[in-house]
This record gives sequence, structure tokens and C-alpha cells, in this order.
Amino acid sequence: MKIEAIVGSNKKLSYNRKLLQFISKHFTDDEIHINEIKDIPMFNENYPAGEDDHDPELITELAKRIEDADAVIIGCPEYNHSVPSALKSVIEWLSYRIHPLGGKPVMIVGASIHPQGSSRSQTHLREILDSPGVNAEVFPGNEFFLGTAKKAFDENGDLINQGTVGFLEQCFDGFRIYADEIHKFK
Amino acid sequence: MKLVAIVGTNADFSYNRILLQYMKWHFRMAADIEILEVKQLPPFNEDLPDSEQTEVWRFNTKINNADGVIIATPEYDHSIPAALKSGLEWLSFNRDTMKEKPVMIVGVSYGTQGTSRAQQQLRQMLLSPDLNSDVLPGNEVLIGNAAKVFDKNGFVTDINIVHNLETSFTAFNKFVKSNMRYLERGDDNMTEPHISSDAKIQFRTGSLSIKEIQQIFNTLPFEIDFIDANDEFSYFSDKPNREHVRHTAEIGEPVQQCHPPKVWPIVKSIFDSFKLGTQDHVERCLPLNGHKVWINYFAVRDENGKYLGTMEFTGNVGHLVTLVKEGKFDGFPEGADATTGASKHDDAEPEQPAGPAMNAQADATTGASEHSDEDEDKTE
Repeated sequence: MKIEAIVGSNKKLSYNRKLLQFISKHFTDDEIHINEIKDIPMFNENYPAGEDDHDPELITELAKRIEDADAVIIGCPEYNHSVPSALKSVIEWLSYRIHPLGGKPVMIVGASIHPQGSSRSQTHLREILDSPGVNAEVFPGNEFFLGTAKKAFDENGDLINQGTVGFLEQCFDGFRIYADEIHKFK
Repeated sequence: MKLVAIVGTNADFSYNRILLQYMKWHFRMAADIEILEVKQLPPFNEDLPDSEQTEVWRFNTKINNADGVIIATPEYDHSIPAALKSGLEWLSFNRDTMKEKPVMIVGVSYGTQGTSRAQQQLRQMLLSPDLNSDVLPGNEVLIGNAAKVFDKNGFVTDINIVHNLETSFTAFNKFVKSNMRYLERGDDNMTEPHISSDAKIQFRTGSLSIKEIQQIFNTLPFEIDFIDANDEFSYFSDKPNREHVRHTAEIGEPVQQCHPPKVWPIVKSIFDSFKLGTQDHVERCLPLNGHKVWINYFAVRDENGKYLGTMEFTGNVGHLVTLVKEGKFDGFPEGADATTGASKHDDAEPEQPAGPAMNAQADATTGASEHSDEDEDKTE
């Protein structure tokens, strides 16, 4: 599968980035490209001020890649029990003038340094992706929460716990079938 | 009661902004509501240096000084706008601005739902440990069909919505007043000192009652702030129409929190020099609130020279300047104070500090006046 992965954080050090890097390295059958959101401006209906309405160039590029992809994976941190504003802002851009996530199979994964592994944030993200403006096809069940992320990776950036790797592979197998079904249905 | 109301969108036009303006007007007898815009804040990023976030500092200070917060949220994709979420992230990252702060949520949408899903998520966010707010339970203000609800002057045209707002605001008013912070702080109305106002204090040069001391301080044509020896803001005189408006919420705060991060190093250098004893006084002339304002920092010491704290002595000297211009002091001897004083007491010379101390004072005074910029003006 051709997959666009989105790092849901604008931080320099992000365990969600590490997780996505591991995923792109581990699932060699798939072509996984990692997208950063750090330089995308905050969503604003009136951006850019005083000019013709258009989306930021980085958003247009990201949307193009998502349209060309079979599926999307989002690595979602948790800030205040919810989705970081930086990620929410990107989804707002992707549901305002253009709707590249519409009908697109999306898998949510998340890492956090706390034991919960971004569970509350993922629940909010599901609600957001399910809203009519976004209209994504969110892969149900299969909640992948990577808690205590500081201890989860070795020096090569690989997940240490083989049980975790096994569960991730199981989620991925399910996601491939799900994405296929979605595409057939379309 | 003082409230801050946050417009939860960065859009140029917003019915949520109009709702808050309406609430500010409609509830003006019950509360002083100040409207803040999340548009003023930069997008949240942990890697940005905190000391440069003057707007975040300003939000933090205003919310700290308020008894409660009203948040008006639109709904974007079943959640709150990223611009509002970003503001909440600033207020909870290395800060506890929203901790135990009473919060009322309201929202307006074009559709029929009235931001119900966004409000649900916002409640959950506000209850997370890092924000830890006291969210008003129940009392939902969900205003749908916005375009039909407000007239062109921003008034609510539907009486049921007015009633819903009034019921919810009354509940919030009660909720704010039962909040622990509010109870501990007391109302801003401080007419009575805490211990018996009949108590007399005996000074070497006479006695005054507590009440008299309080009222003398409040009647002085200059306002007084006192920062104690531990650098905590411990007192301000309750002079009417102060140039620097202070709040009782600031009492006991480290004085660093009362200054924008950029200005703090200069202020700190003044305190440090007072503690070292290299100088006792720094003065600055600033335009403030359209007045000619003379600001003085005095080191306050005990009879042994031990540092007790710093007194900020601030006043509008426009009247004095006018008197000088009108020539009321023309023909008076130059340096009259020292000479007259000295001759009366039959002393040869008033005592002068040593040379280096005088130089240090001159330097520090220049340094302080250099930063008399608008930054200071806006935030103090």
C-alpha cells in the first residue's frame, strides 16, 4: 500500500515521529512516506490576510500526496486529553476548501510518555475525523497506544517489546484488509 | 466580579465574538468582563522560548487577576478550533493559569447544534490534569442558527435565548463566588483593614491607628507599592485612579510575575543593587495613561541599614510641572532644600554618600530610563 503518515506534533523530539519512523522501516511491503506539520501555519479562515483565498502551499502539497495515497496513518500525541492544536489545525485546513481525507482509510496510532499512550486524544481524533467536513474512513477497533514511550525504543529506533511489534503487525494486517474493502466499495 | 471572556476563534468575523460583546453589555451590572482574542497568541510549540511569549504572559496575568473565565467556542470538525486549543496549550504548559479557575462555556453556530460536540470536548480538555479548571456543570449555552439570532446591532432577538443566558450567567456568578480562590482572596472591595481599626501603633514620633495609617496611605497624592525582602509583592495603597492598576490577586506573588519577561532583568538589577546597598533610589519619568508620571523606587531599610524591601512611589506630576511653568517657583534660591535644611539645623554639610555610590546611582538611573518604552507602559 502507498501510505502517507502524518506526525501529529510540531516538537523537535516526538515519540510519535519515532513510532512512524519505525513503522515505515518495519513494514517493507508498504511504501510509507512521513509528513511533518511543523511549518504549516495555524488555520485561519481569513488566511492569507488581504489576498485571494487560497490554502498554504504546504497544505496543497500534503493534500496532493494524500489523494495519491491508498491510506493515511496519523501519529497522535495527547495534550490536555485531546489532539494537539498543531494537528487539529492541519485537519481544519484539510476540511475547509479541500477534502482530501474524504473516503480515505485512516489508521490512528499514538505514543505518549505516560502509561495511557494518548487514549483520550485518539478518541477525540476519531470524532474529529468522523465529522462531515473531514469524512474519513477511520479504521475501527485496533487501538494502538504506545505508553511510557521513553522506554519503548532501542538506540536504533526499534520497538523493544516484541509483543508490541506483534500487535502492531496484527493492526496493520487488519488495516490492509479494511483499506482494500473501502476501495472496493468506492 | 471581574471576568475574562475568550473569543475561541481567529476568524475576522465571528458570532461567538458578537455573543461575548453582548454578554459584556448585558451583564455589566454583575461583572466587569474583558474580552481577549486567541488571535493574539502564536501557534503553540513546546520548542519556542517561553521568555519571548509576551502575549502569553499578558493572557496569563489577565486570567490570574480575573475571578472567572468565559470561553466562547465555535465548532470545527466536531471539536474546538485549533486556534483555541493552541491557547489552552500555552496556558497549561509550564503554567497553571486555568487551575481551579471557574469557567463557563458558551457557543454559537450557524447550524442547529450550537457547537454541542465542541463544547463536550472542551469540557473534557478543561478537566484534564494540566488545565484543571472548575467548569460550571450543566447550564449549556448552545446557540444555533446564529444568523437569525442576532440583529445588526449585536442584540439577541430571541427572548428564550436571553433567558437561557441569564439563567446560566446567574448560576456562573454563584459558582464563581463559591470558588475557593475567590473566598480566600475576598472581594476587591477592601475598605476595612484586617485587624481592629482601633488598634494604635506607637512610633517614636507619635501614634496612629491602623485605620488612620490605611487612609493616609490611600490619600497620599502618590500611589505606593511595596515589595518585601523576599521579592514578593506584599502591598499596594488603595488610591483612587491609580496609574498602575493592581489587583489583590497579585498580593504574595513573586515580583518577577508582575513584570513582562523582557523587562524583568532591568527591574531585577535595581533590586539587586538595593540589596547590595550600592544605591537607594531610582527614578523614571514615563508618559502613562496620558499623564506625566514620575516613578520612584526607594530601598526601604531598618535603622541598621538592613534591606526590608522596595517601595515604588508613583504619581502624576502634571500639576507640579504646570506650577513650574507658571513661574510659581521663580526667584527661589537654587538648591534651596539642602541649604535651608542645613542652616536651620546649624550643620555644616548634609552627609553625602561616597563617590562610587553616586556614580552607580547615576548609571542605574540612566539604565532604567532607557527601557521606558511602550512595553512597560502597556503591561504594568
